[in-house]
Amino acid sequence: MNKTLICIKDLDVAYQDVVALVGINLDIYENDFIGIIGPNASGKSTLLKSILGLVEPINGSISFLSCTDPSARSINIGYVPQVRKIDRNFPALVQDVVSMGRYRQIGYLHNVKGNDENVREALIAVGMWRFRNRPIGHLSGGQQQKVYIARALSANPSILLLDEPTAALDFRIQQSIMDLIYTLHKEKQLSVMLVTHNLEFLKKYTTRVLCLDKKIIWQGFPSDPKLDIVIQQIFYQP
Amino acid sequence: MEGFIEKILEKIFTADFSAFFKYLFVNQFDFIWEALIASVLIGILCALIGSFVLLRGMVFLGQAIAHSAFAGAALAILLGVDPLLVILLFSVISSLGIGYVNEKKIMKEEIIIGVIFSWGPALAILFISLFDVYSTDVNSILFGNILIISKTTFSLLVIFSIIVFAIILGLKKEYYLLTFDEESAIISGFPVKFLNYLFLILISITISVSLRAIGAILVFAMIVTPAAAAYQWTYRFNKLLILSGIFGVFSMILGLYLSVTFDLPSGSTIVTAITTIFFVSFILSPKRRFAKITNVSTECRYCSEVIAEDGTCEEPDCPHVQHTHIHAIDDDKGKRGEVVIRKKDLEEREPSSHEH
Repeated sequence: MNKTLICIKDLDVAYQDVVALVGINLDIYENDFIGIIGPNASGKSTLLKSILGLVEPINGSISFLSCTDPSARSINIGYVPQVRKIDRNFPALVQDVVSMGRYRQIGYLHNVKGNDENVREALIAVGMWRFRNRPIGHLSGGQQQKVYIARALSANPSILLLDEPTAALDFRIQQSIMDLIYTLHKEKQLSVMLVTHNLEFLKKYTTRVLCLDKKIIWQGFPSDPKLDIVIQQIFYQP
Repeated sequence: MEGFIEKILEKIFTADFSAFFKYLFVNQFDFIWEALIASVLIGILCALIGSFVLLRGMVFLGQAIAHSAFAGAALAILLGVDPLLVILLFSVISSLGIGYVNEKKIMKEEIIIGVIFSWGPALAILFISLFDVYSTDVNSILFGNILIISKTTFSLLVIFSIIVFAIILGLKKEYYLLTFDEESAIISGFPVKFLNYLFLILISITISVSLRAIGAILVFAMIVTPAAAAYQWTYRFNKLLILSGIFGVFSMILGLYLSVTFDLPSGSTIVTAITTIFFVSFILSPKRRFAKITNVSTECRYCSEVIAEDGTCEEPDCPHVQHTHIHAIDDDKGKRGEVVIRKKDLEEREPSSHEH
């Protein structure tokens, strides 16, 4: 039986008077590769942000490593946001961006060393080591996403949260990003929670699928024939 | 027109170019040494804070704080007190107010900034109109006079400079992360709200200590321009900080020298010096030359994203990866967007023989 990493109980989240999530109960285990799918404004990103502590729930709890102790928070969580526009001239090289993933562990009044092993390994793992001295703004969208994955990896996370990491990228690059994430999941025993609109990716890479529309509509295996029926219901029927 | 040229020529021909050095090394006047030390401190301070202001897109906000500081300066003269603390009070209140409005999303940030931006000078003019006698201090507040800094102001400048240096250098990487990706800074567990408010206070301190030297009208130019000049030269953040510090200190000292030599307001000479540095940097910027050579935005579908500085392609899927090639941007190298394989990089082979 795999160890529990994250335990979500009765989670409700709202933005002012707009309900985002209702009654979410979810356990995430080691070696999970959970795909999350749902229509726009269904709370997919909100679920990730709640786990990350970016939004405060109005009810419920999120605990780490233990479902009985809500105060435990001792796992490293890596986060990869959606593709975002970066100023081409922003003074940050690829290795500088990846080093940012180490800041929390390094602590105040210390700097990440130029030859930090975690940074080096993370860049090699995503195939971006040779670009380490390239300005981040000079990279393509797909390459930037790989750098963000390396940034998340540099902190040696137990779980990787990815919020539509392949949005706005062409299919060839989407495929390479997903192959990379799957390889990391397998080789490093990294748990993954992936928000995506791509059903094909869900079926190909994940071990569990969550269909969300402010609440969990369905969860199960990607090979389950019910998945297609649920997708039809939440996306195509009023 | 002739009168204007005559005045310029008179200034040049009557100037004593060695006066500055005489005051420093022969007469060893305290006021000139204090002005020099103040110049170095303000140059470094403005560069450090200005680098973050520029990268965080806070230029307009900073200008609003400077205008508020102007009101504080005018009130201090009216009350007959040393200006620095009153300037600081006005700056901190306006910056924290803007920060609070922005954090709580009460209204769009540009609205409150615009209000403070225009209210500051209006208040200042109101206070000035209440003077019994027009004070020459008004000119120095408006246009700057680094040579008439009081002992109290000088001491406070040194103390505040040390505090700001310590905070910025101690929290450099946290502010760097906050600048690049605020969401990631929150996820990393850094106290982002506190850091944001602290930064606003640091901007206020910097403006307040610099205002006497550079003047209310131009102070913000000194905060933004050294960083803007340094920005033209490097993609490394630490180099940006160092270079903007060098530019800041150099322009402060050069401005001080010109102010003493030609009897001109120090604010104008300092800002003219740094602005000149900026334009020279802009023209010579390697960033612009690199972009011209590589032109990453060409339409090559294979490797437009991946071009090394020497023109080699590093994209594994590029069908031309085995040849050193460049992307054409000029007509003499080929049409725009073409991938041009350099002949000297092709393998030597026997010429093919064929008949036409």
